Amino acid sequence: MKPALLAAVVLAGTLGTLPSHAGPTQTAVLETYAAQAKVAEPGFAGFSVERGKALFLGRFTTGKPDTPSCTTCHTTDPRKEGQTRAGKVIGPMALSAKPDRYGVLAEAEKWFARNCDSVLGRACTPREKGDFISFMVSQ
Amino acid sequence: MQPRATARLLLIGDRLVNIERRSTDNPGRPPAPPTLLVWDWGVRVFHWALLAAVLLASGTGFLAPANWLNAHLIGGTAIVALLGFRLVWGWNGSTYARFASFALRAPRIVMHLREIASGRGAGEPGHNPVGAVMVYVLLALLGLISLTGLVVLGGVVKQGPLAGLTSYAVGRQWRGAHEALAIGLLVLIVGHLAGVVFESLRTGENLALAMLTGRKHVRAVPGVVPHRAHPGRAALLCAAIGLVALLGSVRLAALPGLGVPVLAPEPLYARECGSCHLAYPPSLASAASWTTVMAGLTDHFGENAELDAASAAQLRSWLVAHASETADTRVANLMRVADPASPQRITTTPGWRRVHGDVPESLFRAPKVGAKGACAACHEDAATARFDPQAIAVPKETNP
Repeated sequence: MKPALLAAVVLAGTLGTLPSHAGPTQTAVLETYAAQAKVAEPGFAGFSVERGKALFLGRFTTGKPDTPSCTTCHTTDPRKEGQTRAGKVIGPMALSAKPDRYGVLAEAEKWFARNCDSVLGRACTPREKGDFISFMVSQ
Repeated sequence: MQPRATARLLLIGDRLVNIERRSTDNPGRPPAPPTLLVWDWGVRVFHWALLAAVLLASGTGFLAPANWLNAHLIGGTAIVALLGFRLVWGWNGSTYARFASFALRAPRIVMHLREIASGRGAGEPGHNPVGAVMVYVLLALLGLISLTGLVVLGGVVKQGPLAGLTSYAVGRQWRGAHEALAIGLLVLIVGHLAGVVFESLRTGENLALAMLTGRKHVRAVPGVVPHRAHPGRAALLCAAIGLVALLGSVRLAALPGLGVPVLAPEPLYARECGSCHLAYPPSLASAASWTTVMAGLTDHFGENAELDAASAAQLRSWLVAHASETADTRVANLMRVADPASPQRITTTPGWRRVHGDVPESLFRAPKVGAKGACAACHEDAATARFDPQAIAVPKETNP
């Protein structure tokens, strides 16, 4: 079985039963991360909305001290606007509230690279990225 | 009882004239009605309008916050217009409005002071010789204050007819003169009021009232050639001078401000930097600061803001090419010198701290502001690098 097809099957298995606002572009991004996760973790069994939620709400001590959590800037409600530490308004993270999110892989990669380092102090794994997006497209 | 008549010598022009002291010391009769129209409408309107304009300009200049600048400019413009009218009226008004009727002549000033010292002398129809000195000094001072104000407006704020011709450094220098002259004006106004009170008590003529009604209890002085006012001629002259001044000012004000950066939009900058904070105009920081900032994007004020190498190189050269060294606005001059302890940060530069000294810390943390770096929360034109005083609007709801 080809990795992309496998990923699609895995995705269908994990997300098919959950509410999702994902369109074709978001699904494509998720498929890419699923393929990467399969390579990175042999035991990968699909993304989890619950793990994505936990990642979003979690507090970390390993990142930069000013940004211990995603919620520092994005607030605990993904459907609400956030605010950067420099005062700029950030659009909602939930796909239902901001439909142009998570549709461009390069854009997603840029923000994961920046913000995972700021909050976690390390790069996020493909599974964490997929979990995160899975949570956000369900919101 | 007959009123006492006192001989009094008055030097009018080059002639000595003997004028009779008017009757003031007759307790049995009510005071005679004012006899002579001394101050024509032009002088009276000028005087009280000038007072209003000076109150507006000095009140806003000394007391009001920076975003009241337009009120200050309205006051200043009115003063200039009134001075122009008074100059025209000084040759086209009626007798005592004319400069010729209160020319500065040292012998008359000395004689007037001697009269005061010896307790002699009575009121005069027009300005007395010492009052005339005050009039000319006040007019000259107001002219100088207006001129220096125009230079400050052009050099520091980059507005008005001199904006295209005046550097920030020159504007700063003249600002000191503008303020010193304005304080001098306040002192002279106190002197003017003291003179009016003193002369009113001395002569029994309510001079402030006379400036309202135009009439005094005096007789026309023989030897002073009476002149009719020429309002039509004055109006024509004012219109001509006003038109030339207005067209000239508009033409000059249309020049691009000296050292005001005009940047073509840089979409990459707006997208990459402007998604987290105001896309700070490059003229807000020095080339050295921008270089430091762009070299440390993985720890950018406590966050990772890394860019791909090509984008970072493009933005670095764009920022350095338009850094504060290339501009001459007030903000560029204020922010050019960084705080050595945090060379990347605009909001710790001595210049930034000086101009935000009266802003409470709580305001920066208010939800509608969020941070010191959120310039646009209060400066509506922050993105343009102008930072006009008139564009400052502090958000109303500032309580968390």
